[in-house]
Amino acid sequence: MSEAESGDKWGIAHVHASFNNTLITVTDITGAETIVKSSGGSVVKQNRDEASPYAAMQMAESVADQIKAAGISGLHVRVRGPGGNRNKSPGPGAQATIRALARAGLEIGRIEDVTPIPHDGTRAPKNSRL
Amino acid sequence: MRVAITGTPGTGKTTATDAVADALDLDVVHLNQLVKDEGLWTERDEDRDTLVVDLDAVRDHLGDWDGIVESHLAHHLEADRVVVLRCRPDILEQRLLDRGEPEAKARENRESEALDVVLGEAVEFHGEESVYEIDTTDRDPEAVADDIEAVVSGAREPSAGTVDFIEYL
Ligand SMILES: Nc1ncnc2c1ncn2[C@@H]1O[C@H](COP(=O)(O)OP(=O)(O)O)[C@@H](O)[C@H]1O
Ligand SMILES: [Mg+2]
Repeated sequence: MSEAESGDKWGIAHVHASFNNTLITVTDITGAETIVKSSGGSVVKQNRDEASPYAAMQMAESVADQIKAAGISGLHVRVRGPGGNRNKSPGPGAQATIRALARAGLEIGRIEDVTPIPHDGTRAPKNSRL
Repeated sequence: MRVAITGTPGTGKTTATDAVADALDLDVVHLNQLVKDEGLWTERDEDRDTLVVDLDAVRDHLGDWDGIVESHLAHHLEADRVVVLRCRPDILEQRLLDRGEPEAKARENRESEALDVVLGEAVEFHGEESVYEIDTTDRDPEAVADDIEAVVSGAREPSAGTVDFIEYL
């Protein structure tokens, strides 16, 4: 049985979560080939809910279907972005996305946070709170 | 009144704040400079060639401050109003390169701006009712300074999430 048929291939979900938006891109394990790309859409002002956990969940469900159809059963996750104002980081988009991917029956492997850090000769400590 | 002026490096905080300080009679603290001058940091981030700030030491040093604190870290302080300057990430990256910054630094700040890192923190720490987002893309420092003055005078309403830069990641 080929790897695709057995459905035990792993991929990488790149989750980009901003204040207004969440993007999910799933690549093969090398990161070279894009398998699925999904966007919360452009959501400036009039539709902030696009960045909400609900939108991320819906997006993740449709992404999960496509990933499984491509024979992938497990995902490592690379999160970039605090994901907005509704929750602690990684943001609502990111958290909800990972939960929804797991609920859709995908195995979740390593979760890596690669959120960029603004810096200019100084930077804040990680996970600093007011 | 305590006004924090924050935003990703390259959004024009230092330039605009200097213009505001000339127009209004307010004390201004350039926080990045203060951290270096007073040694208010705990360790070096060698990968980024940058100092990790000791926020408690900064708060102690500033004490009961009044006026403007300007820095991409200003939203980590308590403040009455928090101004978040924004700039389209590709233009921000170019501004930083033109200012002579290394490529890796310009890139990571571009990515931070694309993901609204500073805005998200400002809203998380202070709430949307205290945050004033100002897009500086294609605007000169004087126009930005006018907008900041409107925040200080109370003529501008709070705002957040007025831009979506994620496609510039
Ligand atoms: N409104 C603006 N439009 C174009 N360039 C600007 C503007 N404001 C500042 N700059 C330039 O961009 C660079 C970054 O500005 P600076 O004030 O140092 O930003 P920050 O303090 O936010 O890091 C500087 O080289 C500055 O001359
Ligand atoms: Mg500056």
